[in-house]
Formats: sequence, C-alpha cells, structure tokens
Amino acid sequence: MPQSTLSLARLGAMVGRPVHLDELERLLFASKAEVHAGPGDSVSIEVTPDRLDLLCEGGLGLYLQGALGLVEGAPKAIGGSADPRGIAIVSDPSVAPLRPVIQATVATAPPGMPLDAGLLEEAIRFQELLHATVGSDRRLASLGLYPFDRHRPPYRYTLEAISDVTIVPLDGDRPVPAERFLSSHPLAARYAALGTEGTRLLTLRDAAGAVLSLPPILNARPAGEVVEGATSLLLESTGTRAARVSDALGLMGLVFAARGWRLDPVAVSVPEPEPVPSPRPPGRSLNLSEATLRALSGRSFPAHEVARALARSRVSARAEAGGWSVAVPPWRPDLIAEVDLAEEVILERGIHPEEGQLPPSRTRGRRGWDRGLEDRLTDLLLGAGFTETNTTVLVADPLAARLGRREAIEIAHPVSEQFGHLRDALQISLLGVLEANVRHPYPQRLFEIGSVVCADPTAESGAATRRHAGGVVASERAGFAEAAAWADYLTQAFGATGVREPADLPGTIPGRSARLKIAGEAVAEIGEIAPAVLVGGHLPMPVAWFELDLDRLWPLLGRSGTT
Amino acid sequence: MGAPSGAVDPNEASGLSLSAPERAALQVLRTAPGGPGLEETEVAEAARIPIEAARGSLQRLKGKHLAVSDEEHLERFRLTPRGSAALAEGLPERKLLRFLAAAGRPLEAADLGDSGLDPSARSAAIGILRRAGRLAAGASFAIAESVPAERPFPEELALPKISQGEGEIPSAVLESLKRRGLVVAERTTRRRWSASAEGRALPLVDGPDAIGAVTPDRLSSDTWRGVSWRPYDVRATVPRQSGAHRHPYRVWVEEFEEILVGLGFSELRGPLLETEFWNSDALFMPQDHPARSIQDVLGVRGIVGHPPDPGLLERVAAAHEGVPMPGESGPISVGWSAPYDRARAARPVLRSQTTAVSVRKLSAHPSAPFRYYAIDRNFRRDAVDATHHVEFQQCEGILGESGTSLRELIGTFQALAEAIGIRDLKIRPSYFPFTEPSIEGYVRHPELGWIEVFPGGLFRPEVLRPLGIDVPVAAWGIGITRLALVALGVRDIRELYTNDLERLGRGVL
Repeated sequence: MPQSTLSLARLGAMVGRPVHLDELERLLFASKAEVHAGPGDSVSIEVTPDRLDLLCEGGLGLYLQGALGLVEGAPKAIGGSADPRGIAIVSDPSVAPLRPVIQATVATAPPGMPLDAGLLEEAIRFQELLHATVGSDRRLASLGLYPFDRHRPPYRYTLEAISDVTIVPLDGDRPVPAERFLSSHPLAARYAALGTEGTRLLTLRDAAGAVLSLPPILNARPAGEVVEGATSLLLESTGTRAARVSDALGLMGLVFAARGWRLDPVAVSVPEPEPVPSPRPPGRSLNLSEATLRALSGRSFPAHEVARALARSRVSARAEAGGWSVAVPPWRPDLIAEVDLAEEVILERGIHPEEGQLPPSRTRGRRGWDRGLEDRLTDLLLGAGFTETNTTVLVADPLAARLGRREAIEIAHPVSEQFGHLRDALQISLLGVLEANVRHPYPQRLFEIGSVVCADPTAESGAATRRHAGGVVASERAGFAEAAAWADYLTQAFGATGVREPADLPGTIPGRSARLKIAGEAVAEIGEIAPAVLVGGHLPMPVAWFELDLDRLWPLLGRSGTT
Repeated sequence: MGAPSGAVDPNEASGLSLSAPERAALQVLRTAPGGPGLEETEVAEAARIPIEAARGSLQRLKGKHLAVSDEEHLERFRLTPRGSAALAEGLPERKLLRFLAAAGRPLEAADLGDSGLDPSARSAAIGILRRAGRLAAGASFAIAESVPAERPFPEELALPKISQGEGEIPSAVLESLKRRGLVVAERTTRRRWSASAEGRALPLVDGPDAIGAVTPDRLSSDTWRGVSWRPYDVRATVPRQSGAHRHPYRVWVEEFEEILVGLGFSELRGPLLETEFWNSDALFMPQDHPARSIQDVLGVRGIVGHPPDPGLLERVAAAHEGVPMPGESGPISVGWSAPYDRARAARPVLRSQTTAVSVRKLSAHPSAPFRYYAIDRNFRRDAVDATHHVEFQQCEGILGESGTSLRELIGTFQALAEAIGIRDLKIRPSYFPFTEPSIEGYVRHPELGWIEVFPGGLFRPEVLRPLGIDVPVAAWGIGITRLALVALGVRDIRELYTNDLERLGRGVL
C-alpha cells in the first residue's frame, strides 16, 4: 500500500491548531488510511491506492479541515477559463512514438505568500511519490516543476538531436553536452531509455530556446530550477498514458491548491488540430442522485446531510432536481462515477455494524450437484482405511519430472521449483505425501479428491480444471492388483462396471498400468509405481495407485453399462 | 492405515496374563504369615523356583499391582585389595615404626629409603606419625618415647572388623580408610515382598489350564470348553491404534459451507487457469494495475487462451476506456481513460481471486434473487512463509436482488460471524477496484485481537452493466484460510498442506 511520512507541525499549520496521533487515527477512519507514529515530529500514513491525495501535508490537511468541520467545500484554486494568459505548449509530432502526452498548469501564489522552503520540500517529496505510484517509475507519467517567471512561453516539447543539446543539470554548475550527460549522470542511467530514441532525446524549451528539462530525466538550470521566493510555477507532466498524466498533474497541483495557490491550465497545441486545453486539471462534473445513494446505502439521507457530507469531503456540490451536481477537483482521480460520490457520503456519515440486515433468503442454498457423490466416495475410502490428504495444485518440478508427467503445465515464473507445475493428476501430490512420511509405519493408504488442470486447446483459457479422486497404497504387498481392485470397488459402489485396457501411464511399470473404461470412456487410471520413481523419492515400499476422473465418471452413472 | 506390521495378540503383548512362576510367587506371598514380608530368597525357596525367576516374577507382579515391596537401603563396607594387603602386612605407618625401631637410632630422611615403602607411601606415613605424635620432635626421625610403639592405630583396629563384617566402626575412621583407598562402601537394597490387596483378591487359577488368547484353533477344536482364562491387567498400557481420518482443514471448510448453504447460498466452481479477461478485465481492474503484473500473478508456458464472446469483450473494453458501450449513447463513467488491449484478454493466468468465478456466473444472467458462493484455490506470487502461501483458498460470495445494499452485505458478515461463534464485528471502509462502496469486516479473536476476515462491497456499475446485470450485487471474498488457522489453532499456513500422517492419524494438523 502507498505510504508516506508527514510532519505533524505542517499538518497543524493547515488545521490551525496542533494535531495529535490519536486524533488523526479517529479522523482518518473514514478515509481508509492507517496512521502510525513516525520518527520525531512525524507520522507514517498508509493509504489505499485510490487516496494518494492524502500522502502530502496539503492533501491530508484539506481532509482534516473538512473532517473537523473547519472548512468545507473545494478550495477555490481552479482557474475559470482554459487559457487565461495565452500560455501554450507546442507539442511536436516527433514526440508521438516515444512519449506523446504533455499537460501543464501554472500555479500562482496568493499575494504575499511566496514559495517557502517547507512547501518546496513537500512538493519535491510528493513529486517523487507520484513518480513511483501514478507514474509507474516515470514510465507512464512524470512531473516537472519550473519557476514560471524565469522563461518565456510558448514552450516547445520536441524530440531533437542529442548533439544539438547542451544543458546545465539541476545538480551541476556548468554546461555539459547532452551526450556526456546521458552517459554519466545516475538519473540518465535509470531513465534515459524513456526519453531518448536513437540519436535524439526529448526536450522542453521556452520561446527563447532555454532548456527547461529533458523529460522525464532531469530539469536544467537555471530555467528548471525552483527556489524559495517563487510566486508562480509551471507544473508539467509528460507520459505515455493520458489518464496517468492527468492524474499526476492534478495531484501535484494539490500541494499548492491546499495553500491557496491558483491553478490555471495551460493549452497544449499540436500543429493539427486547433490548440486544446489540458483535459483534466479543471476538474470534471459528476451527478449523484438520491435514488443511487438510497440504493447503495439502504437508507434515506436528508438533503442537508448529503450537502454537508459532500462539503466536508472538500468537493463543491450543487443541489439539483433529484440529486446533486458535484465538481470533482483534479486531485481526486478516484471519483469517476456516481457510486464514488455516494461512498463519500456514506463514509462521512460512518458505517455501523448495527445497521446490517439480512432478510430471510428467498433462495434455497445447495452445494454443487456432484458434491453428494464426492461425499459418498469419501465415505467409501475412509471405510477402506484411506486417510484424506490436502495438497496443493502446484507441484514440485523434480517430482513431476521423476514421474514423467510431461503434460503437466509449467508455471512461467514460479516462486520456486517446489511450485513449478500445475498437477495434471493427483498421483504427483500423493507420491509427495508418501515421500514426506517414510518414517511413518506401513502400510500407508492415502486419498484425495481435488482439482487437476489439464491442457485443453478447446477450453477458453487453454486448460480444463477437472475433479479427480486419487488413492495410493504403500505396503509390502502393494501392486497393480490392489490398485485395480480399489478402482473396481469404487466404481462398482456407484453401480458402474468397467473394463481394464492396457495403457502406458506416467510413473508406472510398463505392462502394469491400465485405464478403466466404462461405456468406452476412460474413467480411471491404475498402475504400479515404477521402482525408479520409488527409489528416487527414498520410498522403501512398493506403491499401488489409482485415480478416477470424476468429471467423466459421474455423467456415465445410470447409462448403458452401468446400473 | 492398519495395525503396525508384526503385531501380536495385544492382550498377550501387554502382559496382562500371569506366567507360572508369577502365579507361584503370588501364591507364596498370599499364604505367608503377616509380618515384614518375605525376602526374594524366601519366595524362591517356598515357590520352588530359581532365585532369578523369583526376582523377575516379583517385579512383574509389582508392575501389575499385585505385589508390593518394602525396601531397606543398606550400606556395607569391604576392603579393597590395598586394604587387604594392609591387613596382612600392616599399614605403611606401622611398617615405618617397625623400621625405626629396628634401626635403634634417629635416622635421617635419606635413610628412610631403605624402609621398603615407596616415596609417596613413605611421605604419607611420616605425616600420619607426626600428626599422631608418634615421632620425636626434631629434624631427624625417631620414635616418640611418650607413646608405646606397639599401641595400635584406630585404622589397625578397624581393618579386621571390616574384613569380617562385624562391629561398629567410628565414622571418622571409616572416612579415613575410604579416603586412603583401603575401604569401599557398597550399597544394597533389601526388599521384603507381600501381596497387595488386589493380589490377595485376585482369583488364582492353578495349573496349566489357565490360558490366554482365544485362538481359531481352540474355537474350532472345542478345546476352549472347561478351561480357565487368565485374567488380564486391564489398566496396563496397550499398543496405540490409528485409523483412517479426514483432513481437519477440509472438514472445517465443509462445516463452513453448511453455514452458507443454510443462508441460501449455492455453490459455484470455476477454472483454476483463467484468462486475464475473467480474472481482471471483467472486474474492471485496469490493465496496468500493479496487482496484475508478473510480480503478482502467475502465468503459464505453452498454453494459448481464447478471447470471450466478442460482444462482451467490447462492452468490457468500453467500460475500461470510458466510452459508450455498443448501442448506448453515453459512457458508464470515464473509466480508466486508457486504451484497452483486447489481445491481453485471452492471456491465460492462474486465477488470483475467486471473484472471477462470480463474474463468470453473472455473465450467464442468473435470475434474481440469487445467492452464490465459491470456496476454491487461488494463486499469487507470494513468498511462502508462516502467513503467506503461493496457493491459498478464498470463500467468495455474491447476493443479487432488487434492494440489495450495503446493509445486506453487513448483515451477511454478521450472520457468518455469529455462525462461527464470533459476536464482535467491526466495519472499516476499504478499497477494491471492482466494488464501491467497499468495506472490510474485522472480528475480535480472544488472543489475536481484531483480525480482518470479511472484505466486500457492492459491484461497480462498470462491472455489472457490461455483463447485463440490472440488480445491485453485493460481493465478498473471505480469507477462509486465515479464518481456518484461527479456528483450528494453527499458526503456520504451511501446516494446512503438510500432511504429516502421524498427526493426521490423531485427527490434528
């Protein structure tokens, strides 16, 4: 789960009074977040993946203001028009194959409250967290922060020849050719593949040609160097997936919006069609109907209660006929449908176990149609002295190989060789249990009724899951006859009599294995386990094995050849 | 599993019968006059059996609670070979006195080499004589005139007595002799035997007619008539038996199933190898969701899957992309606002959540009201330890009916918790990509505190509408393995799959 360490002092500054850990725990209950004491004046907060907005002091502060009833509604941070200043980014078509999406916002400080060291540090910390989460380590989206007053729009986002680019890296003090930067800088070593294509690399320049950054690797000085005292910032996000880029940019703006900064969207233009505004930073509108809220919660909410709950969730809501219209701020990408708004209201009010109700069932419950047959089979095997085992469907590579089960499906990236194949027969699992119990007195009789997975090109997933019942007997006199006798006993107990036909079955002695057929269908496999298999598993006793394919057997009951 | 190999008649093996020497010894004890009891030799003589047989029989009678013994622990001293030599030739200090007396004059240390004593014995003898005041003061060695030379040492008096086993020896003298290696202590136990109350009450059958096992030969030959059967000690230890057992975890799961069936839920099953479409896409899990990466989900080699029904695929794709479904004018929501990779839908993966089984059922449009459950295996790329396993079991449930809300979901949790004897339930909000609202039910365990066992929620419209479901559906997926660990008192999840026959034979994990 995503987590971050936040300053209690900075949270207190947002709320207007000190905030204590136990109070945080109580207030965060409805947000799904968990909070723990951190080092010094800090708390560690862990959130579900939909509430990344709570992982910066600004976002959590907004939430606490609402939860405490101190401030309600969304902060008035969003600019009214799409492009009030005529600021634009020209996205060159050359970027399309590599990193096609770019969006940006200009954040402007409230009068007399320029960027301070604490806010800058919080922004950089949150930027890195968003890189790791929303951005999938910058692959899908990355963020850049720039001092807006140090360059001149419009900006140009393009792919240009590496040899044409020279920059002063953000952590450097002299210009270096991009080629040398790419071959020597640690961040380039990690992210250059995302921002270069052959001999070209991505750049973001202003109208004067100054390099702001090499997305998504690193900013350049001085155009990309944010320092204390700045009063306006350009927030930019590039990536390969538009939704991730929007989400990252929207969340990044939260750090500033929570402190009263104004966010103005930046138009992004490509030569064709006409320039369009960034799609998400202005937020979007969703409707919540009374009917949906009642259906999900199972109760009625007075209108004023809903309005207050939405206001405390820090969104702006307007009552309409039969419901509410809600403006979703860009830092709440989790609110995508009406049900998400309904949950905000339900959680704000609280979920109480005593409100649970389960009306009498109007359905009659029953187990699967074949479970009664499996129960009867279990009774027969227990009565015959077989002990039930519980084994995994994933089986060990060496055992599957020793038994020669070449049809068993191989796992692509197994956790270990102990779980390297899907069993296609219970034989593998039962032999494993015998091998683990060589110190136990003999005879040993084991059985299991369980699932196996067999390759089947006609099945939707390419394999069929089948129910089998398998048994093994390890004793001085165990052999083919005993295995066959048990298979006969079990099938005949269900009124079905089969005919044995020789078969070459994995893991058995040639000439001592067979299939049991009923009405022409193979319903069971029988065999005496080969000595090489036994010795390989340090088994000191001969082993007889039988395995019924229940998916084949049950449909045959009552048909010709069975009684 | 049957009886251990090589088994014999358990009655005989347990030693419940009385052998002839035991019967004879017990008879002697029962007829002995009152008093301190009989010694083993007396029993042997009276029963006319060898002393070794008497000892063994008496011990076995004691083991069968038929005889008791009073034990007296004795300590007896005897001479060591050095002690016997000292008795015959004299103690070293006596030998030294004799040597000095024979010399008739004070001797120097160098002269004592001719005394016949080895250096260490000579040195010890000098020490004893000096401490006893038997040497004259001065650097040279001469007999003190104050004590008659022939006066015996206490040790000299003790040695003959010890040799003959008579007389009282002062403890200080005994300690001195033991320290000098001239005497050793031997501890013996004298037992006096008598019959216990049970031994006196036991009906004793004399003679060879008293027999043990009932045998087929005896039954078929009619020779059992008129014989007497040896009585057995019914409290004696008997061999342990073990029989066939059900696996405790499976039994527990089936009991849990009965609760669900009683609440009107019917069983579902689904394939363990699924396509990504059913495992994730139909659940509205974004295709770039971290839980769908190969770090979390297990894939397979050499298997090719197939896409679902094309119409269904397009409806699910529309929900993901946030565009209208075919034939509809508006989207369900903005979805994930990302292109949906249709080719990925056919990729086979090991099922990572039983919810896939529920969604498959919903795609078949069951008529409402409906309640279904599935208890089955799932797989995730978890490193195996005490609390995690690559293969685990979930109990999935759905209930769909007009009017189904969060309250019915919570009510289901309450009913399940009460059915397994848990009354304290706590609800927390949670997050799952396919449900909204989403909650988690915690129950209070007497030892472990609050544990999360009931995650659930109401399926999102992005899940239900592409499937053509028009009633609200509550869904939950219980970590039944975790619940079973608590219920069965098991602390390591691996024990559910260990299959130790010794433990299974006792009906435990």
